[in-house]
Amino acid sequence: MPDDDDRVGAVFSALADPTRRYVVQALAGEATVTASQLAERLPISRQAVAKHLGALGEAGLVTAQREGREVRYRLTPDAMADAMGWMAAVGASWDSRLSSLQEHLRRRG
Amino acid sequence: MQVEREVVLPASAAVVWEAITDEAELSEWFGADVELDPTPGGHGRFVDDDGSVRRAVVEAVEPERRLRFVWWPEDGSGGPSSVELELTDVGAGTRLVVIEAPVAAAGWGQALGRLHARCSTLVAV
Repeated sequence: MPDDDDRVGAVFSALADPTRRYVVQALAGEATVTASQLAERLPISRQAVAKHLGALGEAGLVTAQREGREVRYRLTPDAMADAMGWMAAVGASWDSRLSSLQEHLRRRG
Repeated sequence: MQVEREVVLPASAAVVWEAITDEAELSEWFGADVELDPTPGGHGRFVDDDGSVRRAVVEAVEPERRLRFVWWPEDGSGGPSSVELELTDVGAGTRLVVIEAPVAAAGWGQALGRLHARCSTLVAV
């Protein structure tokens, strides 16, 4: 569990950048993709794309596999699922607490 | 990315502020037991109804407007989050907006830095 929860913060930070969100969406639509292929579709250099892929890799969102001279990136859905799970759990906790606060204030009058 | 919830409460901002900062009152509605020093750098300990315990460090206090703290599971079972509670007078009551987001490494470092500074001044006394 600790690894999952620590990863959530990294996932949120990684996805705070719109370019990285685009990369994740692109990867969601294909099995694998290279930094060059992504750079063709984005108004940034291949080096910049590689940096973003590195950040996504550190957040556990993508994995890289060398195939000959290319590195192919693929999405790991577990990190996103962890982040979504965190949001659902924390959201439910606050719904419960705020409901309790409402009831508390109503009782005080 | 963050979790955001809001509610309009049938009470004045002063009453709601008391409810979210007074540890005796927090203990009545938040969970099983709450200790909180609602000042910048102040410590907190929140025990939920399910027995889970979180430690906290207060980051910002604007009376009747905003309370922000960082909290984390006492048993280390998860990472730190920033929690911000914002109060707005809406005439018939007070709107309370809660935002919780995981803390990036840099933010966590800042909170710990402030805690360390506060502890240092206490020890000096």
